[in-house]
Amino acid sequence: MTCELCDIISGESKAAVLFEDDTTVIAVRDNVLTPGQISVFPKEHAPILEMISDDVLGHCANLANGVSVAVFETLGAKGTNLLVRNGLGAGQNIPHFSIEVIPRQENDGLNLQWEPKQILEDEMDRTFVLLKDELVSLQQQKSKVEEKVVEKKETESTEEKIKDNEKPNYLLKSVRRIP
Amino acid sequence: MVDAPQLTEEQRKAYEEKIKNMSPEELRQLQKQQCIFCQIISGKIPSKKIFEDQHCLAVLDINPATRGHLLLLPKEHYSIMPQVPSEELSHLFSISKLLSRVQLRALRVSGTNIFIANGPAAGQRAQHFMIHLIPRKEGDNLLPLKDKLIDPALMDKVKDAVQDRLLQLLGKSNSGMKPKQDSAEETEEEIIKDAVWKEQLIEPKEEPTKTKKPAKPRAKKKKESEEEPTETENRDPSATLDEIAELFK
Repeated sequence: MTCELCDIISGESKAAVLFEDDTTVIAVRDNVLTPGQISVFPKEHAPILEMISDDVLGHCANLANGVSVAVFETLGAKGTNLLVRNGLGAGQNIPHFSIEVIPRQENDGLNLQWEPKQILEDEMDRTFVLLKDELVSLQQQKSKVEEKVVEKKETESTEEKIKDNEKPNYLLKSVRRIP
Repeated sequence: MVDAPQLTEEQRKAYEEKIKNMSPEELRQLQKQQCIFCQIISGKIPSKKIFEDQHCLAVLDINPATRGHLLLLPKEHYSIMPQVPSEELSHLFSISKLLSRVQLRALRVSGTNIFIANGPAAGQRAQHFMIHLIPRKEGDNLLPLKDKLIDPALMDKVKDAVQDRLLQLLGKSNSGMKPKQDSAEETEEEIIKDAVWKEQLIEPKEEPTKTKKPAKPRAKKKKESEEEPTETENRDPSATLDEIAELFK
């Protein structure tokens, strides 16, 4: 299965690359919501947001910020949207994470607005509880993992210390044997 | 959301005068007082808070696209994304990643959208920068997105138009993306525009060009795009390309 963005990175696909550095690429693709749309994506292939490291993600976001300003100033856009389509349900159509910078004009025919829904109070409360509980659970898991990592590091460094202590003892023993 | 009443021309001028005489600090205070989201952050307006740390706050949107729609707000007041410092923006995206995961697992949905709107034309409704985190299910039709193929020649034209300015901006410092002109002046003008904007009805359709004073030398390109009559729905893609192509000649 081919990945359109990996093809751009390798130079196999036709795309206008504006910028690249060690981790990220900025390019104009041929399949867009509106002309002028620019994609910012990591070089490392990862399909979804959750698999991107915080460093790379932050870097992509700041590059996208720069693209947004550049587009605003040079393409005569009256506004910009940033969009991440994370998962099939969100309209993701390429298996490689990207941030899309979309230039906007008034009456440009793009409909990126949703109809606000009226949600009943008790459903809001239920949703709140679901999200809150999941967040707490995730944070607890994360801190357990971090604790284990810290413990592991501590035991490793203690073991190293023991080994270091044994070496000179061995040397001392051999010195003592000398008549 | 509370909409301010429409001001008369006189009232608007008087208000602008008053604002011009305020110090930058007073202006910032005024912005914060007028900003509904600053009041949510300070707790003056109640909200359902899902996540909070020293930099940001995530709340349930009371007029959501769908159940579980979250708004992620920096605690500091920024009107648009270029004002947000790079470390804060990185942090906001890390938290977005965490919250997206929470939404996927708690609500059993098959996707999430991260969405940012800069400017009324892009659908920005509030003057406080925020990131929308929207849970999505296949077939929910919340954001109908139709991708189109464009001509390779147009791809190159976009690149040629944008690349130089982009490289300039990226070559600068990492502390936020400030537009071309003198940053001190720009900030004050932005603050004045902001305060006046808030006092008027925030209805992008009703916002005519009279309120917009282009601070940047984009007059030529702007006129061209305004003169081209644009159709609202089901635009012929080739017509769109031609119009955009005109901009790059």
